[in-house]
Order: sequence, then C-alpha cells, then structure tokens
Amino acid sequence: MGYQRNKSGVSVWRYATLSLLTVVMIGPLIWMLRVALAPIGSELSVSALTSAEFSFDAFTNLFSAGGIQRPALNSLAVGLIVTAGNVLFCFMSGYALARKSFLGRKVLFILTLLILMVPAHILIVPLFLLLTKLGMFDSYWALILPFLVTPIGIFMVKQYVETIPVSLEEAARLDGASEWRTLFSVVAPVCKPILAVLAIQTFLVNWNSFLFPFILTNSTDLRTLPVALALMQGHQAIDWQHLMAGSTVAVIPALVVFLIFQKRIVSGITAGAIKQ
Amino acid sequence: MNSQNKSGLTLASPWLITLLLFWLFPLGYSLVLSFTDSHLLARETSWIGWQNYSTLLNDPAFLQALKNTFIFTVGTIPVTQVVAIGLALLISANFRGRSFFRSAFFVPSVTSMVVVALVFTNLYGRGGYVLALAQLAGLNPPENGFLLDSSTALYSIMAMDIWMASGYYMLLALAGLKSIPDELYEAAEINGAGRWRQFVSITLPLLRPIILFSLVINGIKSLQVFVEIFVMTKGKYATSTGVYDVYTRGLERFAFGEASAAAYILFLIIAMFSALQFWLMRKRKVAL
Repeated sequence: MGYQRNKSGVSVWRYATLSLLTVVMIGPLIWMLRVALAPIGSELSVSALTSAEFSFDAFTNLFSAGGIQRPALNSLAVGLIVTAGNVLFCFMSGYALARKSFLGRKVLFILTLLILMVPAHILIVPLFLLLTKLGMFDSYWALILPFLVTPIGIFMVKQYVETIPVSLEEAARLDGASEWRTLFSVVAPVCKPILAVLAIQTFLVNWNSFLFPFILTNSTDLRTLPVALALMQGHQAIDWQHLMAGSTVAVIPALVVFLIFQKRIVSGITAGAIKQ
Repeated sequence: MNSQNKSGLTLASPWLITLLLFWLFPLGYSLVLSFTDSHLLARETSWIGWQNYSTLLNDPAFLQALKNTFIFTVGTIPVTQVVAIGLALLISANFRGRSFFRSAFFVPSVTSMVVVALVFTNLYGRGGYVLALAQLAGLNPPENGFLLDSSTALYSIMAMDIWMASGYYMLLALAGLKSIPDELYEAAEINGAGRWRQFVSITLPLLRPIILFSLVINGIKSLQVFVEIFVMTKGKYATSTGVYDVYTRGLERFAFGEASAAAYILFLIIAMFSALQFWLMRKRKVAL
C-alpha cells in the first residue's frame, strides 16, 4: 500500500497513536496555560492542578504591575518595522540581483550566498562592539538597523523574480512607465506571494528572537518579550505563575499568525526545501 | 548599461550597506580581534598571534563546551529526523483530521525558544509532569529535577529540542513524500513488495535529498545552541556549549579577543560540517 493512497479505512489505531502524539506535542503548552490560570498561591503539582480552580489573577497582576506591556509593545513595534524593512529592501535588492546588470553584481550575489551560510554566533562580539562604538548600543537602532534586510529574503525574492517573464516589465517600459513605477506597480504586485511569505516569516522570527535583542540592549525599557521573560526568572524562587502568564502572552500572537497564515507558512517552508 | 549600473546599484544599496557594515566588517574585525588580547579593562591591545587559540584548545571549560555541543548535535539530529519521518508517514495519507494533526505537531515550531525553555524548566523540575511521570514509571529521576543534575541536564535539554524541532522537519518530509509518484508504489505492490520493503527501497532513497537538506539545516542550528542553555541552566551542570562559551567569554567576562577566537574555532567546525554535508549531496547527484 502506498503511504499516500490509503484514502479510506484509517484504522482506530492510527487515530489513537495520533491523539497520543498530539497530547505529547501540545501538552507542555497546555501545562503553561494551566499554571498561568491557577489561583495565586496554589500548589503547582500535577495532582493539585487537576483539581485547582481557574483564575485570571496572574494575568491581571502581570498587567497591573506593568512589566509586560512595554516588552510586548517593543516586540510588536520592532517586529513590524523589521518586517516592513525586509519586504521593501529585500524586494529592491533581490530584484536588482535578478534583473540588473550592474558592476559587481556577481560578487554581490556570491557574497549574499556565503553570508547565508555564516552562523550568526560569530557576530556576538563584533556587533556588540560596533554598535557600542556607533553609539547605538542599548537603543532601538540596535534592535532594528542590522536586521532590516536579510540575505535569506533577498535570495527568496531573486529566485522568484527570475520566474517572472521579462516581457511584463518591457511592456511597462514601452508604455513610458519610469523605472520606479515599473518596479512598484508592475513587478511588486506579481511578487505578492513571495513577499507575503517573507513578511510572515520575518515577523515570526523577530517576535521569537532572543540572542541579539538580549546582547545589544541593556535597559529594562528596551527589552522585547523573550528578553523580558528570560530575565524575569529570579535566582532563588521562581514565580512560575506570572512567568507562565507572560509566556502565554508571548505565545498567543505567534499562534494566531500561524493559524491565519498556515498555508503560506507551510508552502514557504516546503518550497525552499524542494528547490534546495 | 550606464543607467542599468546606476539603478542596479541604487536598488541594491540597502543590502550593500548592511552587508558591508553589519556583516563583512564585523567578520573581519572579529578575526583581527582573535589575534589580540583585546579586553574591556585593558588599556591597550596588542597582537599576540595564535595565543588565544592555543589557550582555548588547552582550556578544559572550552573543550567541555565543544564536547557538549558535539553530543547535542550528534544526539539530537538523527532522532529528530527519525521522529519527523515517522510523523510524516502517519499523516501523509488523506484522512479526516489530517490537517489538524499536522498543525498540532507544528505548533512547537512557532513558539519562542525562550518560552519553550521556561515551560520545560518547570516540567523537568519539582511539580512538573515530566518528573512526575518519570517517578510514576519507577525511573528514579534526580530528586531536584532533571536540570539540576549533571548526569541528566544536557540530555533533558536535548529531548526538549527534539520535541520542538520535529514538527518542522516533519513538514519537509511530508513535502518529500508528496513528490514520490504513486505509480512506484503500485508497481512495487504488483511485484509483491511488502510495506517495509516499499519503505526501504522506494520511500527512503527518494527522500534522501530532503533528509540531507534537513540534516544540514538542523546540524548548523544545533551547533549554535544557546538560548535554551542560557534560560535553563546558565551553562551549569555540564551543559555549557560552544556559543554559550563565546557569550560568557565575550559579554560576561569581556575578553573580546579570546571570545572572538572561540567564535572562529566554532565557525570552522560548522563550516567543515556543512562542507561535508554538501560533499555528500554532490556525490549523490553524480551517482544518479
């Protein structure tokens, strides 16, 4: 039997296995929610939590103490700006690499491919030092500027533009449309699918990112959600309920984005793999 | 040509500037630093040749970190791959509820690593259900939880990573399964090949490109493991890794020269790893 052709007669066993696996995969997040929704001061153990009541205390405390709004807004603002930057700049640069024959184009493309393979950890020390020297350490600039355009985005756009027939742009040019007009009102609309994938991916990666926001800032006001959460745990006693409530706040937007744009996310991931 | 030149460079300029300022310059700067004794508190910096490199290769803490990184990578990626293929096979057929399960398995992949690490810190500790389940199974787990014990901490973090990553690689495997033509299975069936035989002689060989691709990406990611170590153990209980070592050397002890050298050693290891993988992929193409 082919694995894909077994259209009917899926056995009870398969459903049982899949349900068990679902519990394993979703369980930790359900646990997170359960701890967050327990009344303050309840014992946090399996037996205690199964019978405990539900309460929004941890969430109300978290918001009235004010420690979570700022990081959430930071994450949202930085995420949106970086996403907009990537859509615009990766589109421009990717298009140039696909269509224009400017001086150094080949070198630029090879460098882009090489950078794609450079592990980001190598930037920890020099990026910290560079941004310090530029006076941008511990500012919004540090969270935004280095990440506004990424090699992966450029690569995605370049590959996509190369599949569009040139005749489209030539026709626009013959009609007297300027360079920029052609780019933004003829090419951009055709590139919508890939730009959407790029936008969703960029936002999710940024929303969840920890390493660079953590090392490039210092003040509490500039913390993004993941940074705030990672630094929220005290050294002695961990305040699990508020920590899990905060974690829930960080998970929900990513989950919503995923559920809305599931198809695009899945196609984005698999398209890249099939092409290799 | 001239106008092409101008508009091309204008369009590419945001990336050109970013590439020079935030990638190439830091990469070169860090390479230079790795041959100096640069330190936040040092008045002046001098050239010391390969000294940082030899210090590091004789530093038990650094070697331990490399060893842990190696254990982490070699221990997680094959398991993740097997789990991913298993999940993909379970849901590759068209049945009711298929997309629900696919989404459910993928949910950990869209969750922030910080959140996952925090939740598992709780689950692995006292009161968490993983510890409770282990006790129930009579496994005699460490009394203070899995993360506060050197014999279990690293493996527990590895298990979490497998849990988190398998949904993503399942999607890749699913795409690979979809690209296998049905006729192959039909022909195999006619020839009397059983399910296992079909899996070994059709599915696995045709999934090979996807598997290699997954191993490369996962390998590069695993060799850079950092966030979960920072959140869960701060490198204690024998869990320090290469990137964690770079971070503590560079941004906690501010030994910029040494940290840069550590980063470059790790970079070299990652580069060799990817080169090996690419070589394997190329070999396959030639063989075809």
